[in-house]
Amino acid sequence: MTLLLAPLPEKGIGLPHDASLHGWRIDALINETSVYVGLLFVIMVAWVVLACLRHGPRHEARFDHGTSTRSIAVGLCIAGAIFFVVDGPLFVNSLILARDVFGNFAKVEADPKSVRIEITAHQWAWVARYAGPDGKFNTPDDIVTFNDVVVPEGTPILFQLVSTDVIHSFNIPNMRAKIDAVPGMVNRVWFEAKETGEFDIACAQHCGLNHYKMKATLTVLPRPDWEKWAAEASANSARDYDPDDREAHWGWDWSEHARI
Amino acid sequence: MGLGLVRAREDLMQAIPSEERAAHEELQPIHHEPKSFFFKYLWSLDHKMIGRQFLWAGLGFLLVGGLLAMMIRWQWAFPGKPVPVLGSIFLRSQGGAIGPATYMTIFTMHGLIMIFFAITPVLIGAFGNFLLPLQIGARDMAFPWLNALSFWTFALSLVFVILSLFGELGAAGAGWTTYPPLSTNVGTPGSGQTWMVAAVFVTGVSTIMGGINYVTTVIRHRAPGMTWMRLPLATWGLWLTAILNVLFVPVLGSAALLLLLDRLFGTQFFIAGATASVSGGGDPILFQHLFWIFGHPEVYILILPAWGIVSDLLSFFSRKPANWYRGTVYAMIAVCVLSAMVYGHHMFLTGFTPLLGQSFMLLTLIISVPAELLFLNWLRTVWQGSIRLTTPMLFSLGMLFVFGMGGLTGLYLGATATDIYLHDTMFVVGHFHLTMAAASFVASLAAIYFWFPKMFGRRMNETLGKVHFWITLVCLVTVFSGQLLAGYSGQSRRLYDPYQYTFLKHLLGVNRVASYAAFLLLFAQFIFIYNFIRSLIAGEKAESNPWQVSTLEWFTASPPPYHNYDRIPTVLRGPHEFADPEVRRRLGRDFIGQAEELPEAMPPAVASAG
Repeated sequence: MTLLLAPLPEKGIGLPHDASLHGWRIDALINETSVYVGLLFVIMVAWVVLACLRHGPRHEARFDHGTSTRSIAVGLCIAGAIFFVVDGPLFVNSLILARDVFGNFAKVEADPKSVRIEITAHQWAWVARYAGPDGKFNTPDDIVTFNDVVVPEGTPILFQLVSTDVIHSFNIPNMRAKIDAVPGMVNRVWFEAKETGEFDIACAQHCGLNHYKMKATLTVLPRPDWEKWAAEASANSARDYDPDDREAHWGWDWSEHARI
Repeated sequence: MGLGLVRAREDLMQAIPSEERAAHEELQPIHHEPKSFFFKYLWSLDHKMIGRQFLWAGLGFLLVGGLLAMMIRWQWAFPGKPVPVLGSIFLRSQGGAIGPATYMTIFTMHGLIMIFFAITPVLIGAFGNFLLPLQIGARDMAFPWLNALSFWTFALSLVFVILSLFGELGAAGAGWTTYPPLSTNVGTPGSGQTWMVAAVFVTGVSTIMGGINYVTTVIRHRAPGMTWMRLPLATWGLWLTAILNVLFVPVLGSAALLLLLDRLFGTQFFIAGATASVSGGGDPILFQHLFWIFGHPEVYILILPAWGIVSDLLSFFSRKPANWYRGTVYAMIAVCVLSAMVYGHHMFLTGFTPLLGQSFMLLTLIISVPAELLFLNWLRTVWQGSIRLTTPMLFSLGMLFVFGMGGLTGLYLGATATDIYLHDTMFVVGHFHLTMAAASFVASLAAIYFWFPKMFGRRMNETLGKVHFWITLVCLVTVFSGQLLAGYSGQSRRLYDPYQYTFLKHLLGVNRVASYAAFLLLFAQFIFIYNFIRSLIAGEKAESNPWQVSTLEWFTASPPPYHNYDRIPTVLRGPHEFADPEVRRRLGRDFIGQAEELPEAMPPAVASAG
């Protein structure tokens, strides 16, 4: 097995390192918006400063209610232009990304390589369950890990998650993935890691006293290493399976929620 | 010569039928001011006194909320270290340091106190009460008794807040959003949480009473000639806020009541999963819908009065009419109509259907259009003006600055794609603090500096005011930019110790800078408190219209008599008549009051007779 590194610290102010295949799409949209927003803000401030400098107490105010048709039309056109130039791309790109990438579960479900993981969140830990070789959840060969999610590189990873107590939010900043874990419902999220390493999993939703410590590790291994890890872990679980430990027998039928 | 004036006056009388004027005087007879302490200061029916009651209560709790904010900032700058001064007073049992349990009550109480018990009473309670009747030319609210009841109901909710602070197991700790199941006994079993939910319910009752009163007053008690399109924009903002309050605070009330039932009687409206004793009963997400149907309009409830006040002040101190008055009014109305239709962007990650998320995204982005129109009107109002950088004007321009930052950063959060990464980060915290905290705080200060002479008959010191402004603005921008940057770098909100995470360790520096700015911000407010108290006692006496502006309240004494106006004014024009060459020629000044008659420079009757 490869020697693992602890999560790497980040440097400076900026988006954290993007280790996912599709994260750049979100980053690009954020940065593009920042250009427009920055420009609008600079124009606004410059306008006010210039007005204060040029149209101070010695300047005679113009008697103008700004109600001429031309004046109103100019205002409406500027507002409309800003809407189409700044808000437009945000809207259209969000729709496209939801359809093709972040919300395109059908494509990922259909991919035979995809790895499926069920997560149960509770105060204050993340418990992960893999189906094992039989492909069925809640069977003796399932791999169950505690605050430790191990996934292969270059493979779509699909999560279904629930919470047993309060609302949590499953957050992997380096993978640009986030979704709430809500008691009473099953939520989904997916990403694909483009590089190996260790990354932090955090809880993004205030969930009580130790919310700040509800932390897990995401380990991304090369696919062959992960296969080896999974086989070993599954064999260990099957050997240690205790039919009387009913608390440990959670998990749900994946396909029930696949078509949501 | 006299004949001409009489004739001009008669023309005006014809515009306003005398029966209407008589009806107004009859509807609002002059009452005598009560003499006893109880009826003058406590159970006062006078809107100006009730406004002051809200102002004192609100400013007091603003300080409490501010001190709680300082403790949060301390924790982010020096995690686990004893808090200077405050720690040795309030956290003695923990050695002066903040623990995780205390921390969650601090940020919860900070949010709830600031929103419901500081900004709401100052902007809506104090200025709504003080301004609405004066600006529309009325002698009092439509329902003075209900008004007093509204304040004392609010006072009862303050008692609940204080009880919560001393609750067993600490004060409320489920966050200001109070999401169940965390806010039920499953997550926060202490009595502090119960008292706080009850406090929100009771203050909601107070707000609804106030709202009904404001809505009715503006509809029924406008002086003769005060048409809708002659209302000052501050009145428009406060009136629209009152409508939103009447419509949406009941939704919050229903959520709070169901939550109280869950907490006190085990009803499980909002509990699901393993902690529920029955399966399939409750739904935690239902609460979020109810909460945000109120919660998003609440953002506009807090900012509409600020928008209105600033719209007026920018015109007043540019000595120029507000640009496209009707446009500003229509934009504010459009925001109100949309306000409850955009709330879903708070819930993008709860797992509701993509169609719902995308619809809310579209509506959220559409609400930026009226906001842009407001900004354009403000910018075009100051352009070609004759700008006087008085303290209220500086604070008004400051509001443009911070609200501009806050509004623009909202774009990232309204789009479903960019929100995936930014949801629940400090970016959100920076964004909503710039809009509903910084902007409404700065606008409240603009309002206090501006109306202080009218409220108390004295003027505040301008130099101290300007020093206060510059420190406040620089610090506010530093604190909340720091939050935006920390969030952009990935820091989640509400973390007791963000540096537990490797990818956040390097953010200690930026958080510390923001914290130092926050501490300086607090100290700058003592300049304000000093100026406020000194001016109250020994400030220069104010004449009736020290700022030389045009709305009705500046044409009665400072402070106004108990009945506001000896004679109910007859309104002749809009609120922003500045720089009219005709007025300058005839009156020799650059403005004319809303109810002021324009004298004939050369009465035509006399001219023809001669």
